[in-house]
Amino acid sequence: MLTLTAKLKSASIVAMAVAALSATPALADDITLWTLNFDNNAANVALKKIASDFEAANPGTHVEIVQRAVDEHKTALRVAAGSDKGPDIYFSWAGLGLGGEYVKAGLSLPLDKYYTEYKWNDELLPSAAAFADLYPGGKRGVPFTFKGEAVYYNKKLFEQAGIKEEPKTYEDLLAAAEKLKAAGIPAFTFGGTVNWHVMRLMDVILETKCGADKHDALKAMKVDWTKEQCATDAFAEFAKWTKDYTLQPFMGIDNKQSYSLFTAGRAAMMLEGDWLVGQLDGSGANLDDYGIFPFPTNTDRLYGFAEYNYVSTKSKSPDMAAKFLDYFLSDKVQQDLVGQISSISVNKNVKYTNQKPLEAEWLDIFKKYSNVYMNGDQAFPLDVTTEYFRIINEVASGNVEPADAAKQLQSFIASRT
Amino acid sequence: MSLRQTTHDPRTQAFILLVPALVIYAVFALYPMLNVVFLSFQKWNGLDANRQFVGLANYTAIFTRDPVFWVAFRNTVIWTLMSLVFPPMGGLLLALSLNQKIFGRNSLRAIFYLPVIIAPIAVATMWKWMYDPFFGLFSQMLTSWGMQAWIKDWLGNKDIALYSVFVAYIWQTVGFSMVLFLAGLQNVSLTLVEAARIDGAGRFAVFKHVTLPALRPTITIVLVLSIISSLKAFDIVYGLTGGGPAQSTQMLALWAFTQAMQIFDFGRGAAISVVLLLITMAVVIPYLRWTQKHEEVES
Repeated sequence: MLTLTAKLKSASIVAMAVAALSATPALADDITLWTLNFDNNAANVALKKIASDFEAANPGTHVEIVQRAVDEHKTALRVAAGSDKGPDIYFSWAGLGLGGEYVKAGLSLPLDKYYTEYKWNDELLPSAAAFADLYPGGKRGVPFTFKGEAVYYNKKLFEQAGIKEEPKTYEDLLAAAEKLKAAGIPAFTFGGTVNWHVMRLMDVILETKCGADKHDALKAMKVDWTKEQCATDAFAEFAKWTKDYTLQPFMGIDNKQSYSLFTAGRAAMMLEGDWLVGQLDGSGANLDDYGIFPFPTNTDRLYGFAEYNYVSTKSKSPDMAAKFLDYFLSDKVQQDLVGQISSISVNKNVKYTNQKPLEAEWLDIFKKYSNVYMNGDQAFPLDVTTEYFRIINEVASGNVEPADAAKQLQSFIASRT
Repeated sequence: MSLRQTTHDPRTQAFILLVPALVIYAVFALYPMLNVVFLSFQKWNGLDANRQFVGLANYTAIFTRDPVFWVAFRNTVIWTLMSLVFPPMGGLLLALSLNQKIFGRNSLRAIFYLPVIIAPIAVATMWKWMYDPFFGLFSQMLTSWGMQAWIKDWLGNKDIALYSVFVAYIWQTVGFSMVLFLAGLQNVSLTLVEAARIDGAGRFAVFKHVTLPALRPTITIVLVLSIISSLKAFDIVYGLTGGGPAQSTQMLALWAFTQAMQIFDFGRGAAISVVLLLITMAVVIPYLRWTQKHEEVES
C-alpha cells in the first residue's frame, strides 16, 4: 500500500507531467523528415547522426526522422497530401514520374531562394542538381543521392572475343557486340520480369537514335512518337539487340538472376548502376575482372537518376527545413558520409581516398558529365510507364513490330485524360 | 409488449447478438465496398484533396481504351474455366485414391493438403526458381535427360506463361478440393454400394450410379468455391510473373490493384474491381439461392 508521502509524490509527478505537456507548445523549430527505411543500415544510422548533430549545432531545434518501407512511404505521402499534416521534408525520386507527381500536386515548395542563399549550386554535382530544374515554377528539392548507370563488362570475355578497347561510339559498341556474337558470347544480360531492367536498353538506344533534345521531347510527350522516325528506329534497334545480342531467354528471369548470369560469365555486359560495384565487391567477385564505360550514345549525357529531398509546401518551418538540408549537403557532412549512404556524394567538393579502381572510374564519369538523361520510369507518368513497359516487352518478344510499337505508345498517350 | 418481454423475444435476442457482427461487417466490408463503387465514378490520384465526379468515364476508359483490361478479362475467364476442370478433377481422383484403405493413407492426405496451407507468395517464390530457364529444376531435369530442346522460357514466353502459372496454382489448390471430396465420400452409403455390387455393377458403374450422385452437393460446392477462388487469383500471379511478360498473364484482380496502388488511378482501379465484383456476384448469388433451397428441402 502506498504511504501518504508516496501518494503525494506520485500526484505531484503526474501534475507536473500534465502541466508540462499542456504548457509546452509545438516548437517552431521542430522539423520532420519522412524518408525510406534503407536496406543499407549504415544509411539509417548516418541519417540519425546527422539529425542529432544538427540539433546540437542548433539548440532548441528537434529533427524527427520518420522512416518507412517504399510502399508505406508513398501511401503516407498521399495521405499527407490530403490533409494539413505531414512532413517538412520528404524523400522522393527526381523526375516527372513519381517525384513529379508530388510536385504537380503542389506538395513541393520552390527552393530558388534557398539555392541562392546557401549557394547550393557551388557545392552540388551538376549532374545530380540538374533534376531540380525539371519542373515549372522554380527549383524543387535538393539531391539526396545520384545514381549513374553504365555498361559493366567482363574483361576476359572481351579479350576472348578479340575486343581490344572499350567502345567509344555506338558503332564501336555494335562492332563489339558482333565480335562477341561471333565468339559465341551473348553481349548483354537482362532480366525481363522486372520491366525496368530491359527498359534501360530501350532508354539508351532512344538517346542514341534520337539525340538529347528529341529524346527529352519524346519522354515529355511533347512530340508525336509516330512522327519521329528516330523513335521507330530505336524500337527496331532495340528489337535487334534483344534478339541478336542478349542472353536468351531473358523475359522470364529477373535482374537478380541476370546478375548471377553476368558474374557466372554467361554474358559479357550488363547495363547497371554505380551500386553494382558494392554488390560485386560484397559477393566476393574480383573487381579487376570488370570494367565500365558509359553506354556510348554520342550525346555527351550520362544515363542516371537521382533521389531527392523536397521541402513540403505544408511545412510550418521551411527556413529551418532548408537550413537542415544545407547542413546535410555541406562539405563536412558529405565528406563524413562517403560510403555510408552512397559511394559517390552529391557534393562535388568531397575528397575520395582509398577508392577501388571501379569506384574511381565512376567518380571520373560523374565529373565528366554535366548533363543527364533519366530512366524512362522516372521520366514518364506512372500510367505511361506501365504502357511503355508493356510495349517494350512486346517488341523484345517479337510480338509487336517497331512501327506498331511507336503507334501503340502514341495512341495510349493521346487517349490519356 | 413490455421491455422485459421484448428482450426475452428470441428474435430480439438474435438481433442483439448479431449487432456487433453487423457493425464490424458494415465498417470493414460494406462501407469499403460501397466506397469502391462511388470511387469508380470519380477521378482521384490519391493526392488531390478533392475527388472529381466523372460519371462513367472510368468504365468507358477500361472498356474502350485500356490495352490491358480485355487481356486481363480473357485471362480471368480462361483461368476460371481451367479452375473448374483441373483442380476439382485432380482433387476428386486424389480423394478416390486416398479413400481406399492403402498404406500411409493419412500421411499422403496430409502431404497433398500441405500446399494449401503454404502462403501463395511462398509458393510463387518456390515455383519461380523451379521455372528458372537456366538453373531451375525443370530445366536441369530436362538437361539431364538430354531433352534440352524441351526447355522453355516457362514464365517469359507469353504463349505458355499463363499455363505455367496455372500449374503452380493447381499444385497449391488441388489439396483443398481433395479434402472436400474426401468429406463427401464419407457420406456415400456403403449399403447402396454393396447393393449395387450384389446386383453385378462393376467399379465404374458403382462410381457412376452411386458415388457420383451422392457427391453432387460436394461437387457443386467445390465448383463454386473454385470459381470464387479463381476470380480472386492474385498473389500467385503477382509473385510469379507480376502480370508479365507484356501483361500477358494479367488478371482482373491484379490489374485493379496495379491501377489503384501502382499507377495510383484509384477511379479506374475501382471500376475494374466493380466489374470483378459483378462477375463474382453473378456466380455467388445463384449459389447462395441454391444452398438456401437445399437447406429448406432438408429441413
